[in-house]
Amino acid sequence: MKEYMKKLFILPVIGLLLFSACNDLDIAPKNVITDDDLMTNEAGMEIYLARMYSYMPFEDFKYMAQWGVNYNSWLGAMGIEGTGEALNRDGICTAFTGENTPYWGQAFTLLRDANHLLETLPKYKNNFKEETYNHYLGEAYFVRATVFYAMARRFGGVPLVTKEIQYPADADKLEVPRSTEKETWDQVLADFNSADSLLLPKSPKTGYANKYVALSFKSEAMLYAGCVAKYNETVSGRLTGFGQKTGVRVIGFAEDEWQAASIKYFTEAYKAAKKVMKDGGYSLYKKKWSATDKDAQYQNMVDMFSDLTSPENIYVKEYSYPTLTHGFDAYSAPFIFRSPLASGTCPTLDFLELFEGFDRYPDGTIKVTTGNANNQGNYIMYDKPLDFFKNAEPRLRAYVIFPGDVFKGKTIDIRAGVYTGSAPINPLFSDYSYNNATTLYQHLPAYKQTPKTLYLSPREGNSQETVSYNGTTMTAGGENGPFYDNGEACLTGLYDRKWLNPDPSFVAGEGKSDQPFILMRYAEVLLNAAEAAVELSLAGVSSPDDDDLLQVATDAVNQIRERAGATLLTSKLTATVDGRNIVRKERRKELALEHKTKWDLRRWRVWHYEGRDGFWGETRNKDLYSNSSRFRFRGLYPFFSTATGKYFFDAHFQWVSQKTFEYNIIDYYFAIPSGEVSKSLYIDQQPNR
Amino acid sequence: MKRIAFYLLFCGLFSFSSCSLFELDNYDAPSETLKGEVVDVATGEPVLTDQGSEGIRVRLTELSWGENVTPNPDFYCMADGTFQNTKIFKGTYNIRIDGPFIPIIREDERGVPIADETKTVEIKGTTVVRFEVQPFLKVEWVGEPTVTNGKIKAKVRVTRAVSEADFQAKIEPMGGYSSTFLNVTDIQLFVSYSSSVGYRARDDRWSSKIEYSGSSFNALLGQPVTIESNGTIPSGRTVFVRAASRINYDTPKGSGTRRWNYSEPVQVMIP
Repeated sequence: MKEYMKKLFILPVIGLLLFSACNDLDIAPKNVITDDDLMTNEAGMEIYLARMYSYMPFEDFKYMAQWGVNYNSWLGAMGIEGTGEALNRDGICTAFTGENTPYWGQAFTLLRDANHLLETLPKYKNNFKEETYNHYLGEAYFVRATVFYAMARRFGGVPLVTKEIQYPADADKLEVPRSTEKETWDQVLADFNSADSLLLPKSPKTGYANKYVALSFKSEAMLYAGCVAKYNETVSGRLTGFGQKTGVRVIGFAEDEWQAASIKYFTEAYKAAKKVMKDGGYSLYKKKWSATDKDAQYQNMVDMFSDLTSPENIYVKEYSYPTLTHGFDAYSAPFIFRSPLASGTCPTLDFLELFEGFDRYPDGTIKVTTGNANNQGNYIMYDKPLDFFKNAEPRLRAYVIFPGDVFKGKTIDIRAGVYTGSAPINPLFSDYSYNNATTLYQHLPAYKQTPKTLYLSPREGNSQETVSYNGTTMTAGGENGPFYDNGEACLTGLYDRKWLNPDPSFVAGEGKSDQPFILMRYAEVLLNAAEAAVELSLAGVSSPDDDDLLQVATDAVNQIRERAGATLLTSKLTATVDGRNIVRKERRKELALEHKTKWDLRRWRVWHYEGRDGFWGETRNKDLYSNSSRFRFRGLYPFFSTATGKYFFDAHFQWVSQKTFEYNIIDYYFAIPSGEVSKSLYIDQQPNR
Repeated sequence: MKRIAFYLLFCGLFSFSSCSLFELDNYDAPSETLKGEVVDVATGEPVLTDQGSEGIRVRLTELSWGENVTPNPDFYCMADGTFQNTKIFKGTYNIRIDGPFIPIIREDERGVPIADETKTVEIKGTTVVRFEVQPFLKVEWVGEPTVTNGKIKAKVRVTRAVSEADFQAKIEPMGGYSSTFLNVTDIQLFVSYSSSVGYRARDDRWSSKIEYSGSSFNALLGQPVTIESNGTIPSGRTVFVRAASRINYDTPKGSGTRRWNYSEPVQVMIP
């Protein structure tokens, strides 16, 4: 009973305590950051901008075409998405027909951040100097333009969310259907224009945008828009259609508006690029360049990708060890530097053929034999592999490591095999055509029979086959391969040099690299101006400014060629497809291995079989490397001949980790993520899927 | 001890408290069967195709989901122009096929329907459908393929299965019409070790094609065209060959996929 009494007393006291609060809990929580914290001072705005910038859909070391925008540098490689620039052993080396993480959901998150800034910052206007205030608004427009541009080139027409949607709200207020492709590009244009008018001419801080950054990206985006409008017409079916749910023309342009639209966009691209050229104060990087010294020209183009003071850099994504790093060197360096992987980016022979300085067969392919095609005549012999490349364009040498060239203080030894038969040597295969692409060196009787005359190695180390030569033992494969059973060594006979850290003392590793990535450089602006100018001339439009369009294009191409050590154009470009192709080819060369080419191939509509003659920028017979929707690329394989003590080269379709690519017309517009389509009453799937 | 037992019992009871204790919480496995065939309305012959995304595509849309329906995953006709899916949930479906024939669903440029010959059926047990379509072309062998030195030589006859006037009458209202749609663009000779030979299962080493630009093939319509395989097929092997041809018109419109009409496969011994 006593116990009971005690409880009877204690319980009400406890109960009373529960009611004892007399003040409302109305203190701002210290761990929630509000607009008042961020938008009242420059330090807060820096945090706001930093968040937006860290989610920008930029394509740098942390972008992989197959995966999409997921900010991850794992397996870092360049140009392996069926563009012909390079090859890789893994499944990531597949045609750019979609992204595993479609750029959709995260785009709307970033749009919301930008829209929130645009709608909220005016409340805090008085906290900033007017030009700073305008610059911040300009940054938001730049972000929005970049997001809409990234979406438009993937999907065509997208939902144009241009204001912050209040949540919660009725479903019909939350949903925004896809706009037409034309409206989408017009929005991209409008946002870049707003950014251009608001941003400061010089970035107030490293990493911020500025007027010329916006204009440069605007010229790139408008070139895409103009090409889509124009070259959709070259595709069977005109590549346009209406959404099933909304009846909106979500991809392509109407028959009576594409021409005017393409001229409008090309004009915008031209004017934006010209403004950067005239007022931006940028110039091509030529710190070590010399008109007469090819080695200096080569070294100059190696240095320019890591020199943060380069006058060519317009917009750069910087990294800093150990806090913000990537791993490009850990995945794409030559095999002897593997740490833990290697050989992620192996350029192709087809890419090499874009450049000057090689003897050619009558059909334009690189000459490796004395005959008129690579299955005729005898192999041409070289004392050392590098002799083959002695006249190569300096720009190519800056982008690609040749067999026998030096990287990080080491000679890069690349040898496909050793041939012990007598000289002169006939071509190893009688048929090098696409149809025979899967017949490889290890299938040859010269390798399989005993005694054999061809030695190849399946793997490195103890798996190397050996040959006695002049009293020494020689391995069949080079230090870097290629090895027919090991895709971790060289695949094509060539290695990427661009973007790799050339410092011999640098020890590569995952997350050890901090070279910057140049997202926009002046060379691209020149090429944008040139391409837009030629397209406008082709359309018969008079110059939007006082300059002669074709002279502008010619000068731009020549500036780039001069710096690259290539032969200059001696006459003015013409308003023809040939003239246009000169600009396209220059672009494919200069901007190779920079995540740009895949977009160029898409906008030119030259990836599908019927359009593939234009795949290389110049006209090349597509049947040399493709069969219907599928296509392959070639390598250049050095062999050593014991009978002569010299080297010869064989041009063959990719030997190790063979890849076949496939691209179809529907791939010019990526599928909308099916989950987004099935959960919404408004979001349309692409009509041609 | 007694109290613990009591709690255990109590907890045990809770774990059985879900709504339907003795009902298996599962949906019946999809077990209905849809069988179909695609035939030429004029002759009743099957429309031959290749099993793959370049062949005849079958798209089912289950209609009980209300307004916002997305189609089931597509599947494709077998090479003989028939299709069968034995793993379908019971329900009412719209069935649409796309292939090398006049589109069965036609809309004008603004998306206004002109014709809709898709089928809406209730699929239950085994449901059989038959699509009568107008194929673009008919591809046939003329005589037997011959073999010399590991090369197959065949004669192929390509004729229009739908008249030019009929094609134009049906396709023109869809907008953006061009007379070049009717051009025959190529003849293919697919060679493979597999009896399911076609575009997908072809062997690149031996398959070949002849391409025709513009309307240059028109004069050859109805004429035997000789086509020879590539490379050298090893002797002693048995291969299968098929011929195919297509016109410059993509189905469905805007997809850019120009689908082939096929001949029957033929087995060839390489002596």
